[in-house]
Amino acid sequence: MLVKVLAFASFREILGKERELEIKEAATAKELLEELAQASPRFKEAAFDESGELRDYVLLMINRKRIDPGQDLSRPLHEGDELAVFPPLAGG
Amino acid sequence: MIEITEKDISLDEMMKRARSKDAGATVTFLGTVRDDGIERMELEAFREAALAELEAIREEAVSRFGLKAAEVVHRTGTLAVGESIVAIVCSAAHREEAFSGCRYIIEELKKRVPIWKKEIAGDGERWVGRK
Repeated sequence: MLVKVLAFASFREILGKERELEIKEAATAKELLEELAQASPRFKEAAFDESGELRDYVLLMINRKRIDPGQDLSRPLHEGDELAVFPPLAGG
Repeated sequence: MIEITEKDISLDEMMKRARSKDAGATVTFLGTVRDDGIERMELEAFREAALAELEAIREEAVSRFGLKAAEVVHRTGTLAVGESIVAIVCSAAHREEAFSGCRYIIEELKKRVPIWKKEIAGDGERWVGRK
């Protein structure tokens, strides 16, 4: 199935602003992030710690709603879903 | 009105829109680029998500504090020292509500709206808020 990945700020500099990815049916957000990490050592270094856990400051949205990495990373994604990955907010 | 724009912010226009006969107080907050030894600042937004969140915050402020009007404009793109980053204009019947509404909007904006800043100095650059 096809999903969209958006990246902002420091993560945009690594991944590019937008890309579409073909992933297996019902893959989770965690699996999608791991796939991105496999393809990009820089993203892996920036987003995951040595034990393979997502770093605390990595923020995520699925379809423009913030998700809690502690709970929602294992939720299956659907065709056409949009995952956004970004560092802490700094507006204003 | 809520806006995210690459153009200069016109506080005059915002004040005009916020004026009304039943408002006795108008409070303005203007965030500007501080000279922390930087050359310029680059601002980036997740535009669709940021507009939706700003609209939600605006509606919360209007209903919580009984504002007559609330205007928010946030810049993106490249800004020089001294330029405006964000402007908020709130009008209400009395000053207390107008001050509270304005404060609520800037505090919630900082916590919730997906916008990022990069500071560019002679000796390098860094994303604000990044450890």
